[in-house]
Amino acid sequence: MEAPAENFFTPVVPLDFVYNYRVGPYIERYLRGFKDKKILGSKCPGCGKVVVPARMYCGPCNRRMEELVEVSQEGSLENYTIGHVILEKGAIKPAKGPYMLGLINLDGTDSLLLGRVEGVSVAAAKPGLRVKAVWKEELDGDFKDLDHFEPV
Amino acid sequence: MRNVGIIGIGYTPVFVSKRKDVNIAEMISEAVEDCFANTGLGPDDIDAMVFGNMHTFEGVNMPHLWAADYIASLGKPVMRIATGGTTGMSAIHAAYYHIASGLHDVVMVVCFEKQSEGDSQVGLMGIVTPEIMAMLQAGIDISGSSGMGALAGGSAGAISFQASSYLARSGAGIEHIDGMAALERRNAAKNPYAHLKDANATAESVARTALISYPIRFGHICPTSDGATVAILASEEKAAELADGAAWIHGLANCASDASAGNILEGVITDPAEQMPCQLAAKQAFERAGIKDPKKEIDCVEIYNGFAHQTLMFLEKLGMCEVGEAHKLLDAGELEINGRCPVNASGGVVSTNAIGTSAMNRVTECALQILGQAGEHQVEKDVHKALSHGWGGLMQYVTITVLADKPRKG
Ligand SMILES: [Zn+2]
Repeated sequence: MEAPAENFFTPVVPLDFVYNYRVGPYIERYLRGFKDKKILGSKCPGCGKVVVPARMYCGPCNRRMEELVEVSQEGSLENYTIGHVILEKGAIKPAKGPYMLGLINLDGTDSLLLGRVEGVSVAAAKPGLRVKAVWKEELDGDFKDLDHFEPV
Repeated sequence: MRNVGIIGIGYTPVFVSKRKDVNIAEMISEAVEDCFANTGLGPDDIDAMVFGNMHTFEGVNMPHLWAADYIASLGKPVMRIATGGTTGMSAIHAAYYHIASGLHDVVMVVCFEKQSEGDSQVGLMGIVTPEIMAMLQAGIDISGSSGMGALAGGSAGAISFQASSYLARSGAGIEHIDGMAALERRNAAKNPYAHLKDANATAESVARTALISYPIRFGHICPTSDGATVAILASEEKAAELADGAAWIHGLANCASDASAGNILEGVITDPAEQMPCQLAAKQAFERAGIKDPKKEIDCVEIYNGFAHQTLMFLEKLGMCEVGEAHKLLDAGELEINGRCPVNASGGVVSTNAIGTSAMNRVTECALQILGQAGEHQVEKDVHKALSHGWGGLMQYVTITVLADKPRKG
């Protein structure tokens, strides 16, 4: 049989997928902390490690973490990348300029927090660089309240 | 193959419409903790994990990976199973294969659904629409599943053809669907993990609910539930070491028909009430379990019934009674919790439907009946062998598990 080349069927599926994910009590309190410019982590009763954002379980210990602790707003940049494109409604577009995304180990914690990093040149970026949290002017109790990190 | 037994079961404290107080991972962890508390076992006792939830409904397809901390699976072999409505029983089957093969000794199954965080009808349509469009392009008969799109109410729209055909074939009336739904709502009232409970439900009270799509009324339809279920399965040797008792898997099978949800296996006229896969899977599972007459040898049944007519229809397809006889058993009171053929003592899927757990709960509820741990909804007669049934796919996929109170010989 001759192989067909051109026939497509393109159904349009008229559905809106709406998801409403409950954040649970830990992220609820984490975001409430943002309103007071506080960063909350949870502390494992087994290994004593502190993870940010606050969460219920310590996997390695299989223990519930009941204790929430306020952690430092300063830490070290452990890993980074520099973006040159952005995603807009699923399409890749050029960014206005290069921007840095970092994984930050806040002092006294045992986890990495993702954040935008400003005020660091590509040449100056290196693991171990000391950074601090910078908050938005108006705080809504939203993830976006913690605007970015900048060098100490 | 090695014997495999269910040695522990855990549930979330409740199955309800909306768990607003916890996120997905936190909710699942409650069932894991409950299972560990019930068995005295811990993460170190578990060799491998099987995880299950429905496609699309909350849009999360890899929770077994990102919720690892919450299901005690860090560093362990883990796989997700998603076969549609049957997911939970397919997950039990996967755990069975893990152990029967000799690969692992103790396997934990974790299934959940948090339906309140997505839109179940949109989720269902999100699966069905691309599926039937692709089937159409492959020249496959879509008459079975197309009802979901053609009629209002998603699966309720599609299921009305099945219910209508069942009534015509069996001689049962819509009042029997009412009566079946009422029986299960009353059973649910005895089960702390059931969602829709009504201790005073009667065929008359169900008959007063609105018709959705003839012959299906509102009172015949399952709810959408949030909840999670966990089970621990073990080899015979490990079960003796770790547990006081077990419900043993004697036979299992699964089967799908053509996508018309009909009877291409049998003939040419599409009849969604034919459910040949159920008849074939049950036959195979009974053979494996050494059961010659299920009517005599099976003590209680848990049927996957998103809609109340399915309890009656599948009793016939499973061989628990003759064709056209199920509604007579209902009339005679034999399907009640104290009857000769107790069915869905838990309240069934029609009362509780956190989909990923729904087919799994048919197995865990049979296991609880065998272990004598079902509490207020424990059936009156002694349970030596129990039959659990899962249904779903494109309305043409069936899973069967036969459980017993002693390990299988030979
Ligand atoms: Zn720990």
